[in-house]
Amino acid sequence: MAQIELTLFPGCMIPLRYPQIEKAARFFFNAAGLGIIDAEGFTCCPEPWNVKGAGLAEWLTIATWNLCVAEKHSRDVVTLCNGCYSTLKEAQRIISINGEATKEIISRIKSTGLPEPGTLRILHVAHLISELWEPLISKSIKKRPEGANIAIHHGCHLLRPAEIMEFDNPFEPSILEQIIDSIGATPTLYRGYTDCCGRALLDREKSLDIASAKLESIKEAGADCIVVLCPACFEQLDLGQIEIKRKTKKVFDLPVFHFCQLLALACGAVPNDLGFEYHRVPAGDFLSRFFS
Amino acid sequence: MAKVNPDFAKQLTGIESAGNLNYCYQCSACVQECPAALRFSEFNPREIVLSTLLGVADELTGKNSVIWQCATCYNCYERCPQGTRPIEVVTALKNLAFQLGNAPEQISALRESVITSGTITALSDSMKKRREQLGVPKISLPEEGSLKKILGG
Repeated sequence: MAQIELTLFPGCMIPLRYPQIEKAARFFFNAAGLGIIDAEGFTCCPEPWNVKGAGLAEWLTIATWNLCVAEKHSRDVVTLCNGCYSTLKEAQRIISINGEATKEIISRIKSTGLPEPGTLRILHVAHLISELWEPLISKSIKKRPEGANIAIHHGCHLLRPAEIMEFDNPFEPSILEQIIDSIGATPTLYRGYTDCCGRALLDREKSLDIASAKLESIKEAGADCIVVLCPACFEQLDLGQIEIKRKTKKVFDLPVFHFCQLLALACGAVPNDLGFEYHRVPAGDFLSRFFS
Repeated sequence: MAKVNPDFAKQLTGIESAGNLNYCYQCSACVQECPAALRFSEFNPREIVLSTLLGVADELTGKNSVIWQCATCYNCYERCPQGTRPIEVVTALKNLAFQLGNAPEQISALRESVITSGTITALSDSMKKRREQLGVPKISLPEEGSLKKILGG
């Protein structure tokens, strides 16, 4: 029986588009001795740029619904996605400071039989990793990718606004870099380190232009791979490389992993079991160099 | 000639803190690191705040508005020395544009999907199969229409 239990907020992009990330996350949680509760009734968080752009009140209502569903299980909540993290954290803050706007929403949700949203902690898996690294997770590391140069792309909504996300310095993060360092790899610093991946821009050409600038900088800095914390950033930097190649002939060949995939491998997962064939940029070369 | 509407800013949603417009002293700290401003000359967070404050925002809430190019990176939120939070102003403007029927088709479609099915994308048969092959647990999707109840219609 695991000593620490958390409710998994899976979101929709990972389970419906990138289940290989979910697979790796579950492997990692299990290997590290973290118990996971799968709750019923969660919906899209909802996504914090388009759905929120259409209507803040609706966005807040659905986010509050998800907080109430989580409340039923009385465990802190872990997300694998910056969008989910940002939405749930921000909704929690609005509830705490703007009772007037949320009173009616909460009473409507309570009438369906759900509890009031309380004080559960919303944790991005990055947060969880850093908090539990020393007492717990570091003990489960079996394979160290010695010498791998790993470029972290945090993604905006993990770092900003710092006063709400409460994770790391919004422009000079260092927490995940220490984790990379302690599994024997080198965190690669690069120009535009905390820049956006560009995913949210409606204009696809300009959106890819932003991704391309980021990829170019990562390539120049000599990274062997990119590690992300969010499925939207994952899609933008993985699938994005194929789109950029088609449009501009630029080739980066930078495999992209979710941080949980990297940690699952470090905890001893067999690469062939984790579905890396579903990544658009082939990961085989990196995997055989550092995790064979 | 653009018409000034001094009461325009009052229409912005009060849920998020988009109300610090009056503190803006037009310093442009929000523009320097804005990825959208770097690629669209019309996307300028400082000017968006000013136009909103003056109430000359018809273009911003109209069809094909540049506000939908916001990367939602929150650089402007962090860099603003006055707590104006230009990104929240952009979100509030997006809400108005949506109410006016001027939001891009993709945005309305995405919202509709979330409200109706609870997710941004449907579970296809091939994805179901992929999940089985990977050995991840069966997915529990929300009941169709369950969110409409709490959204009041």
